[in-house]
Amino acid sequence: MAQLHSGGNLARKALSGTGLRVIATGAAVAMAVTACGSGSSGSSGGDSNGPLTIGISLPLTGDFSQPGGEARKGYEIWRDEINAKGGLLGRKVTLKITDDASSQDTVVTDYTRLITQDKVNLVLGTFSSLLNFPASAVAEKNGYLYVEPAGGSPQMFTRGFKKLFFAQQATAGHQPDVFVNYLKSLPADQRPKTAAYPTQDDPFTTPVIQSMQKQLEALGVKTVYTTTYPADATNFQTIASAIAAAKPDLVAQGAVFEDGVGLIRSMQQLNFSPKFLFQTSAPTNGNQYSDGIGAKNTEGVFYTVSWNEKAKTPNNDQFVADYKKKYDNAIPAEDAADAYATAQVLQAAAEATKGVDQTKMAEWLHSHTVQTILGPLKWDATGAPQSQFLLGQWQSGTPEIVAPKAAATVDSAVAKTPWQ
Amino acid sequence: MTQLVQALALGLLIGGVYALMASGLTLIFGVMNIINVAHGALLILVAFMTWKIWSVTGADPILLSILMTPVMFGVGWLLYKGVLSRISGSSPGMSVLLTFGIAITIEGILNVTAGNKFRSATPSYFNQSFRVAGISLPKAQVYGCIAALVVLGLLYLVLTRTWTGRAIRATAQNASGAALVGIQAAGVAALAFALGVATTGVGGSVLSVLYPFFPASHYDWISRLLGIIVLGGMGSMAGALVGALVLGLAETLTATYLSLQWSTLIFYAVIMLVLLFRPQGIFGARLRQDVIA
Repeated sequence: MAQLHSGGNLARKALSGTGLRVIATGAAVAMAVTACGSGSSGSSGGDSNGPLTIGISLPLTGDFSQPGGEARKGYEIWRDEINAKGGLLGRKVTLKITDDASSQDTVVTDYTRLITQDKVNLVLGTFSSLLNFPASAVAEKNGYLYVEPAGGSPQMFTRGFKKLFFAQQATAGHQPDVFVNYLKSLPADQRPKTAAYPTQDDPFTTPVIQSMQKQLEALGVKTVYTTTYPADATNFQTIASAIAAAKPDLVAQGAVFEDGVGLIRSMQQLNFSPKFLFQTSAPTNGNQYSDGIGAKNTEGVFYTVSWNEKAKTPNNDQFVADYKKKYDNAIPAEDAADAYATAQVLQAAAEATKGVDQTKMAEWLHSHTVQTILGPLKWDATGAPQSQFLLGQWQSGTPEIVAPKAAATVDSAVAKTPWQ
Repeated sequence: MTQLVQALALGLLIGGVYALMASGLTLIFGVMNIINVAHGALLILVAFMTWKIWSVTGADPILLSILMTPVMFGVGWLLYKGVLSRISGSSPGMSVLLTFGIAITIEGILNVTAGNKFRSATPSYFNQSFRVAGISLPKAQVYGCIAALVVLGLLYLVLTRTWTGRAIRATAQNASGAALVGIQAAGVAALAFALGVATTGVGGSVLSVLYPFFPASHYDWISRLLGIIVLGGMGSMAGALVGALVLGLAETLTATYLSLQWSTLIFYAVIMLVLLFRPQGIFGARLRQDVIA
């Protein structure tokens, strides 16, 4: 889901409202791991002719079970595809997937065991910044390359890690850039004059909305309302009332999922429909979103996203086809696509360096662009991605991409319609 | 002034629904000393069933509670007879473990059968409001609150006007004394548990319209409901109502005059303050073991 930073999904909500606590806990866990780590090696065990084992811990149960389950599907489809082509580096790929139950403690235990006891050849990342924060510390300590499908919180990239790579287009602070650029492209009289910025107290949505507010204020858009609400908020009528009273042209909400649906429902109840509506990740949830607010009410809602099923990116058609074939013709979730792209990044590094030397692969990734189903990805020295998100918009009941031009699935954006 | 009235009205509507959801939890604790951690999962189970029937038949989700209530009464009865009766007489801690296991089992079954996705019933009125003197009252919230009042009223009548209800209350107050006058404690316990679970039939149906939910949503709900009954006094029906209204009002008043961010803190600050002066909660009865402790 768009804010993939976090793990794409709504279910991540449970970790929010606790940004500092998350980081503090993650740091504590990381320190504990460091204290009892086995020393950096950079090498990996296993028979060099036998199957290539990739260790992954995922939140298959608990709060993040939804994105975790989708990530598993993405990884497994990549595995099936690469094995059908003869494997990675000529070796059959085996995934060793464990369930961390959405727990920071368990994810640390899992990756430590996968690396030090099971001696897997490679690892792939887990879901949500909450889990990737300590998990990436385990990998870094043990000298393993760690490519993650989620975990775009800015704090991820301030620790000086050399082998961490976030396999999406940008970190949270740069997520709104594509929407701001779109607004800049409009004639001045068609741009919003005023804006409201409600956001969940979440380590991923908050930086997005703060960055958007800063950029739009610089563009002359007046801020008329801001508020931050806790992750467990369920009733949004009072916030909707305050927004309706302020009458902003643009409502930009840092929404995970239920909060996005909840605020729209409350605005509908008050019959207040802004000219522009942007939400971070809630609209990326397909039918769950349109069912929640009413399909007709999705028209014109903007969001940022990392992937689209119609994108003409390398291998995307095959990924979509394989996913549909395996899962009852369902449209792949963005979380599954992110995981698939993550595996593509690892694959590219292994093939380019002709081996699984963790240091060589990391060095190669730092200096190369990798083509994935999300589009081209490249990273800075901290492992933070340096590309741009896609700007999505619901049009006629379908999520479309309106920018950048190269990835657009429709010719132009449409105006938001009043609530039905 | 309008702002205050709006916040108060919304707070009461929200609190009414919370009270309905908490009523079964406090009833079960009051009679059996069982902290039913599975209460939230049962609410989500009902919400899923309601959503499914609504999406297939188009039947009104809140009215479906008429069907869900007897179904959940049966589920509660079976759960007690099959599982909970085996820890009869054990410490409340054991009931927490057992019912937590039941909650995880329900979550797992829903994951497998219904899918790990958000659902939400959207009958025609889900995004409409009544307008009364400049005050906006969401229709779904109003209907949910009416359903809550009906259930709480019926529960009150059952507990105070029927022999069964008197037997339940007698057992809650003094199990040995009740047994002496011929009340079968085991049968009453099963009844009370079934009755408590039956309230999720209405609570879950209302939830399916008001809030999006997925299998793991029950963690949020059980923590909120436990807060309500601790504040009101565990085991007290009136306490559950008052605790729920305090939470509803804390949400809307803090959102209006401070920020919704403070609502959770303020609610738990109120709980701490109340417990400082009344460790048994607002309406809780102080038991002999509490006094000794």
